[in-house]
Formats: sequence, structure tokens, C-alpha cells
Amino acid sequence: MSEPTPESAPERGEEESLGSVGAARVVVEEHVSDCRTSDFVDEPMLMTFPHLLVRECVAFLGLSIFLVVMSLCFDAPLESIADPTRTPNPAKAPWYFLGMQELLQYYPPIVAGVLFPALLIIALAIIPYFRVNIERPPLWKSAPWTQVASLWGVVAGLSGVFYFTGSVPIWSLMVPLWAVGLAMTAGALPWRRSRLGIWLQTRSLAFWIFAWFLLAATTLTVIGLWFRGPGWRFTLPWYDGFY
Amino acid sequence: MRKIATALTRSRVWRSVFRHGFPDSNRNRSLAIFSSFFLHFHPVKVRVRAIAFTRTFYLGGLALACFFILTVTGTFLMFYYHPIVPSAYNDMKDLQFVVSYGMFLRNLHRWTSRTMIALVFVHMAWTFMRGAYRHPREFNWTIGVGLLVITVLLSYTGTLLPWDQLSYWAVAVGTNIVGAIPIIGAKVKLLLLGGHEINDNALLRFYVLHCVVLPLTLAFGVGLHLWRVRKDGGIHLPELPPRRDDVGDENYASTRADAGSPESSDAPHENA
Amino acid sequence: MALIDDLDVPMTEAELERRRFLGLLGSGALGLAGIGTMVAGVGYLEPNAPYEQATRFVVGRPEAIVPGGVLTLREQRVYVVRGQAGVYALSSVCTHLGCVTRHGLGQSEIVCPCHGSAFDMEGRVLSGPARKRLPRLELTLERGEIVVHTTSQVDDDTLLEV
Ligand code: HEM
Ligand code: FES
Repeated sequence: MSEPTPESAPERGEEESLGSVGAARVVVEEHVSDCRTSDFVDEPMLMTFPHLLVRECVAFLGLSIFLVVMSLCFDAPLESIADPTRTPNPAKAPWYFLGMQELLQYYPPIVAGVLFPALLIIALAIIPYFRVNIERPPLWKSAPWTQVASLWGVVAGLSGVFYFTGSVPIWSLMVPLWAVGLAMTAGALPWRRSRLGIWLQTRSLAFWIFAWFLLAATTLTVIGLWFRGPGWRFTLPWYDGFY
Repeated sequence: MRKIATALTRSRVWRSVFRHGFPDSNRNRSLAIFSSFFLHFHPVKVRVRAIAFTRTFYLGGLALACFFILTVTGTFLMFYYHPIVPSAYNDMKDLQFVVSYGMFLRNLHRWTSRTMIALVFVHMAWTFMRGAYRHPREFNWTIGVGLLVITVLLSYTGTLLPWDQLSYWAVAVGTNIVGAIPIIGAKVKLLLLGGHEINDNALLRFYVLHCVVLPLTLAFGVGLHLWRVRKDGGIHLPELPPRRDDVGDENYASTRADAGSPESSDAPHENA
Repeated sequence: MALIDDLDVPMTEAELERRRFLGLLGSGALGLAGIGTMVAGVGYLEPNAPYEQATRFVVGRPEAIVPGGVLTLREQRVYVVRGQAGVYALSSVCTHLGCVTRHGLGQSEIVCPCHGSAFDMEGRVLSGPARKRLPRLELTLERGEIVVHTTSQVDDDTLLEV
């Protein structure tokens, strides 16, 4: 990598391909054809320098501006000094833990605080090793109605679990579940031609599970953030204010 | 001016650092990437489809940018912060009212950390939605999950440092959850807090975790992650769809499904 | 450059056997060193003398509490209750996740601000995520004064007769 020197640099625009770069390209091409993107070679390409680097700089600048403006406009909160003898009411965790704090309402700590997060992390970590419907043939390709029936069987079963095992029914997990179930069922309807229909049909099972996870996590967090007041009772943000 | 610049860029020292000429030709532009550290992150050329903004929204890159900002602002904060009770809290007040730009730095550190968590999370969700977690990127996804956990832990350990009511009780509840783990829970909690209650010892432990252990782990993990993005063939792109007339409407969906089953290619990069 | 290819060197069965043995020995030594480091590391991180609050402290004379009255010791996180038959002490730390519960003057309920658990004055769970009752702490009478032992729990009907 040391022999090309600035002096020997060809003039601008010259298309000569370099020995080393060319070799690297062969490697890349072999590699990529293994990855099934054989159309790689024909695709329009750009030089990383400057095109990608400039874009990255712009993205970074945008982020910096956003953060600086945030920091100038909003001060980070600082409450009174820690007092081990007095718990504030309500005691809210940072927002990224509020979903879990919500669940702590319904289940004992070992379930809501240990089992759920552990299962979640393990599930996330191993998602790609499952070959569940991985290449998206329509979920409902064969025997749509039996499949829809079993889908709702599962939905009903899970709803039962969330209804009965929590200290109170956990609507914030059930409603997202039903929403996902409805969307999946919509995918089984015979509207092949429409774009939305095809999109719904070709989502994999993993997609739907993940969608439920996202919906449920968002719901739990939003409830914890805005709808919980003193004593962790349900409240409305315009009623009790924000905590 | 020009002469000095030319002399400078031709000097041995300059050329020992930058092994390419001014990047005004494609050759030198290639070399700018190829002969530099950037090769670890970027190929010399990129597909136009890969750098479209909506492809990744640069979410991973922006998360990395946040990590960078956090490292810098955090280092600045460390110059004024004592991990002792009650100085820790008083230092926060000092930053707020006494230190020039102290409040700004503290805000920047705080809001950047929250932004980073959000970005990492959305990065994960978007990577999933694009199907980029599949072969051959399985392992990089798993590394990513580890990074998400470390990012959250960083933020969590940082929460205790201001030593205000919010810090204290967030950590009290959190460590009690740890204590609820069967068998090892009590021991882990003892090690984490350095005692049975949350006091100076716990503050010092969280400080060391927050400022040394976790950032180093994250830096190492991110390095691995980015290297894998390259080794796994760059950003995941959907296959260009086969043309519909070639296969006929009936078979269209199934052709796409069968276009290449992921099992068929066998870890192409293991010797890369 | 000539590569010395050790895979190509002819070797007898005995030599191979020796290699395998040495390999095993080496990995074993590495593993042992790793485990040793971990054990020592955990041992190092485990505090032997954490300087913490005393687990035993004097409350005062029992007559100081009126019958039916509750003394809230904020610092020590203890309620001392004087019932009809005697005195008992409850930990004021919520059994759910360790927030400090509150007891309003004259109320018959102890509530937790974190996730809303409620307990009665005997420490029994009235509602909310907590499942275990507030533990009763050991009380002794020393030279006419009540002493609480915060690390020692007693049965839920133990009373200190006064
Ligand atoms: C500290 C946190 C993280 C950093 C700094 C980071 C950084 C990056 C960067 C710079 C890329 C290149 C593409 C892009 O910008 O989107 C990338 C790609 C990727 N990341 Fe992350 N990441 C992080 C966390 C995660 C997490 C939590 C996951 C998933 C669980 C993940 C999974 C992936 C995968 C699978 C790719 C390849 C994407 C593709 O091929 O299109 N990363 N990451
Ligand atoms: S800590 Fe008291 S209800 Fe959760």
C-alpha cells in the first residue's frame, strides 16, 4: 500500500483502475455474489469520498444543531438532594424504564423486572437464527381460514394470560395484540391487487411479533410517562400535570 | 501560500500520514479511503441505493455521533465532579450556577444520552423492519442487541451520579429488582452497591462503571459492530426484484421468496 | 518467504499424543487462571467492612408512646407501634421494591408512593403489587428502654409486653 505516491497520481477523471483496488474489487465481487446481490456490478455507484462522507457530515451537523438547541432551551432537571428516608411521590424511573415500571404494577419483580427483560433480550438476540417464514411467502398462502382461526386462538390465549395473571387486567398489552391480530387478518383477505394488501400479505411472522413488541412498549411507556400520578394511580396529563 | 502548501504536502512527514494526493481525481479519492483508517468503515465506492437517506436514516451513524459527543462532554464534566456524598450533588449545583458553560455542558450530556438511547432503539427497529438482521448479518444483529443493553446501562449508571432524589430512588428500585433474581441476586446486588445500602460506596462503583468500564466496553463493541457491517457486505439492500413479465403474476410472490434461500450461501466471509 | 508448515511435519502417534496432552494441559492452565482471576475479582469487589448505619438502636421508654400510637423513625426506617397488648416494630421499607412507605398521623393505613401498595398497621398487605407483609423487627427491653434490631426479623405475632 505504500508505492502509489502523490506525484504519480493520474490526472482528474482518468478511469485507470488500480492494481490493488482492482484486486480488492474482485474479492468484493466474489463475496457479494455469494450474498446473492449479483446485480451489484451493474448498479450505479458513487465514490465514498466525498459523496458518503459529506452526507455523514451533514447528518452529524444536523444532530449537533438539534442537541445544542435542546441544551440551550431545556435545562436538565435536578431535584433536591437524595434522601434515603423520604421517597418522592410518584417516583418515576427515567423514561426508558417506564415500560418496565408499568409492568411492575402487574407482576412480581421477579417476573416483571427479571424474567420479562431477560426473555426480551434473549428473544431479540436470537431472532435472526430463527427461520420462521423468513423469506416472506404470503403468510396465508395455504388454507387461509384455518390459519386465521389458529391466529385468533393464540390471540385469545395470550389475552387470557394478560387478563388473569396480572394483578389487574393488562389492557396495555392486550389492545396492541388485538391491533396486530386485526392487521394480520386483513392480510388474509383476498385483496391481492392493492399495494397495501400485498404489503400486509408478505410480512413475516417475525415482523408481526416485533410489531406487537414495538406497539406494546410504546403504549406502556406513554402511559407511564403521562398517565400516572401520585400513588401510581391512573391520571390524565391535563388533570394532574406532568410528572 | 500555494508554495508552502505544496511543500508541506510533499514533505516526508505529511506523506507518512496521508499516502495519497489531494482527492481531486477518482484515483486519489479511492486512495483517500483505501489507504486510510476509513477503510475499516467504508468501501471505496458505494452503491447509490445504499446511501439513500431513507435506507438507514443514518441512525447507527448518528448513535455513534452521540457516543462521541457524550465522551467529550462527559470528560469535561469529570473535571468538576467528585463521586462523594454530598459533593456529588453540590457539584451539580456548581455546574449550574458557578461554572462557565457548566449548565450547557450538563444539558448537552443529558439530552445527548437520551437521544442516543432513542436513536439506538429506532436503529434496531428500522434494521429489523428492513430485514437487515437476516443472513449473513445475524451475528451483527446480536452484537447490536449487546450494544443496546450497554447503552441503557450507561444511562442507568449515569442516573445515580447527580445524587438527587430521582437518582437515588431509581437506583434503589433498580437494585432491588436485581436483588429479586433467584440465588445470585443478593450477591450481585451486594457487589453492585458495595454494601447493603446506597451510599458513597455505591456512588463510587456506579461512577467507575459509568466512566470507565461501560464506555470502554461500548467502544470495543461498536468497533466490532462497524467492522462486521463491512465484512457482511455493507448495508443490506433488497434484491432488485425480478421483472414481473419474466415470471408471470401468479408466480411473482413465490419467485421472490425463492430467489435465493438464505441457507444456500455458506458463510462467505469467514476467511475475510 | 518460506513457510515452515508445521502441519506438514511428519509426526509419530506418540508425538501426536504428547501434543494433545500438552494442548490439554495448556488450556487447563489458562482456564484455571481465568477462574482464579474471576474468583479473586469477586472477592476483591465484595466489601468486607461497609461502613453503614447501625443495625441496633435505642428508641426510648415504652411509656413515651401512647396506646394505639405509632412512632415513625424516619432515619432508621422503622415504625414502632403500641397496640393493646404490647409494642412491636415494623420495617417501613416496602416489601415490593424498597421504597420508604408513609404513614399519615392518625391513619390506619401505610401506603407506598412507588407502585401504590397499601398495608394495615399490622403490616398485612391491603392492596397493590407488594405480596409480602412488612416484616416485624426484633425488640428488646434494655434498662427500661426499647431497642430495635433492624436485621433480625421475628414472627408476625411477637409482641414486646410492657
Ligand atoms: C451503540 C449502539 C449502536 C451503534 C453506534 C451502531 C452503529 C451502526 C452503524 C454506524 C451501522 C451502519 C448503518 C447505519 O448507520 O444504520 C450499523 C448497522 C447495523 N446495526 Fe447497528 N449500532 C448500534 C446498535 C445496534 C443495535 C441495538 C442493533 C440491533 C439489535 C444493531 C444492528 C445493526 C445491524 C443488523 C446493522 C447492519 C444494517 C444493514 O446491513 O443494513 N445495531 N450500526
Ligand atoms: S416499592 Fe412499594 S409498591 Fe413498589
